[in-house]
Amino acid sequence: MWFPICRETTFLPRSFAMKTAYIGIEKKKARWGWIFVTPAVVLFLLFSLYPMLNAFFNTFFNMKLLSLRAPKFVGLKNYAYIIQSKDFWNSAKATLIFTFGAFVPLTILSMVLALAITSRKKSGRVLQLLIYSPAILSSVVAALIWILIFDPRGLGNSVLNFLLRSPGVDHQWLTDPVMLRICTSTIYVWKYVGYFTIIFVTGIAKIPTSVIEAATIDGAKKHQIIQRIVFPLIKPTTVMVSIVAMLNCLKSFSTQYLFTQRGAPLEPINVITLNIYNTAMRDLNISRACVMSVLLFLIMMGLTLIRLKSSEKDTVSY
Amino acid sequence: MIGSLAVNILLIVCCLVILVPIVFMLTASFMSPAEIFSMPYRWIPKQFNATNYFNAIAGNDRSFIFVRNVINSLVVALSTTILSVIVSAFAGYGLAKFQFKGRTTVFMMIMGRMMIPFEAIMIPMYITAVKLGMQNTYYGLVLPFLLNAFGIFQMRQYLMSFPNDLLDAGRIDGLGEMGIFWKLVFGNSTPAIATCAILCFKGQWDNLLWPLLIAQKETMKTIPTYIVKFTEEKTSDEGAMMAVAVIACIPIVILFTTMSKYFLGGSTMYSAGKE
Repeated sequence: MWFPICRETTFLPRSFAMKTAYIGIEKKKARWGWIFVTPAVVLFLLFSLYPMLNAFFNTFFNMKLLSLRAPKFVGLKNYAYIIQSKDFWNSAKATLIFTFGAFVPLTILSMVLALAITSRKKSGRVLQLLIYSPAILSSVVAALIWILIFDPRGLGNSVLNFLLRSPGVDHQWLTDPVMLRICTSTIYVWKYVGYFTIIFVTGIAKIPTSVIEAATIDGAKKHQIIQRIVFPLIKPTTVMVSIVAMLNCLKSFSTQYLFTQRGAPLEPINVITLNIYNTAMRDLNISRACVMSVLLFLIMMGLTLIRLKSSEKDTVSY
Repeated sequence: MIGSLAVNILLIVCCLVILVPIVFMLTASFMSPAEIFSMPYRWIPKQFNATNYFNAIAGNDRSFIFVRNVINSLVVALSTTILSVIVSAFAGYGLAKFQFKGRTTVFMMIMGRMMIPFEAIMIPMYITAVKLGMQNTYYGLVLPFLLNAFGIFQMRQYLMSFPNDLLDAGRIDGLGEMGIFWKLVFGNSTPAIATCAILCFKGQWDNLLWPLLIAQKETMKTIPTYIVKFTEEKTSDEGAMMAVAVIACIPIVILFTTMSKYFLGGSTMYSAGKE
């Protein structure tokens, strides 16, 4: 590519080029390439590949944390147990409800906000920063704030009672199963809406102004431009945002964990990550936690592959 | 014009809803529990006293363990950030600018790692870390996060367009490969490095799950795990809880206000994905 000099030297006979053991410059560079990637490779083998293989291996054994007995081979029993366990299906349901409850409003809201923001010329930048600001809080802090807001005596009740004109009613945010699910999704939407708005704003900003100008000259109305030009052109962004939001929702843990630690009922918000954590650390059953990890892994892998495929297929070129 | 007004109202309402909880956190951190739950909520505290902050820092048992936890958080977040940026830049440079056997394999490995969520391998990682004797140590908190596949990928993409002539000039002028990396490459890729570093710092500062697993000793806890413990305790009062929350936000807010460009850059990089 870019080392013609070394090409020439390699044409010379070995003995001619150098008396001592001669290492060609290409070889030398290959060696340096390896030196540069070695730390990453070692870390990958130690903290990604080995644990993954180990986890897969563990699912066929009866392994307990803190147990000194050698784990027994149980074949597919762990898988069978998980597939039949009510607790797992409840988790799957809780995760699905949470995911849909969060990623659908997230995608729609962030798209609407992005469209609104891009139409403001002057205040756009400030608005972006304001809307983004919850995303910089850590999820624990976000959960903590909302726990106080959703307290029976807190802001949540007073605002809702004001809107519904029903003074003095406790809406049981943190005890009623349905309300609890709404709460966790709300927190998520609140925290991440700014993040996805920014992604949409960048997506919209990439649409060349000439296309929109041409449409305006041809007499298109504002809503027609949005409907016929902006929507189709930001489709890749939309697909990407919804899948990334979905992936993030599937992994959510902190809010639910903090809620249950604070005394909220576990069942309606026992999302899969929380279940994995509890199975491993409370029930000390590593194998079953690993089975659930493997299942979660497969689902997320599938989603990621869809995302990569779709981003290949849908790229818009102007 | 009506459309424009509707858009304005929508934006104002959304901004208010988004900002109210943050304002609530800030004001409530100066209030007594009775004041926090007074109806209607008083948006300006009667007096700005720092009792809540003292209670937050001292803890319910007056052990001041929080100070230690803050230091832990800083040590872990900073060392992970610095080391992982170096590892990412190394690997990104190696993948972008060198031809060697197995390069494709390494690259596929990194791509594959990007698809694996931490949550799916946390328990196996935990077992591995315990086997290596890393429980309740800084090693345990830092080492598993040094491989930042996303960071490596970003660095590689960035360095692909790095001018080869500059590298060759360095070689001709007698710089060693390490010298080239530190003096030419590392110094000239600030945008990629800053974005990478900020994402990493924020990720570590917020990390709850891993410290919860690996650092169960009080003295090794980080801020998120301290917050969990503090919320669990029945005696904690709500004002102090908000004070802890405010303290936990300080470093990130400082970063955000000074380098908001890279924060937003981090999220837009996602959308840049494949271009």
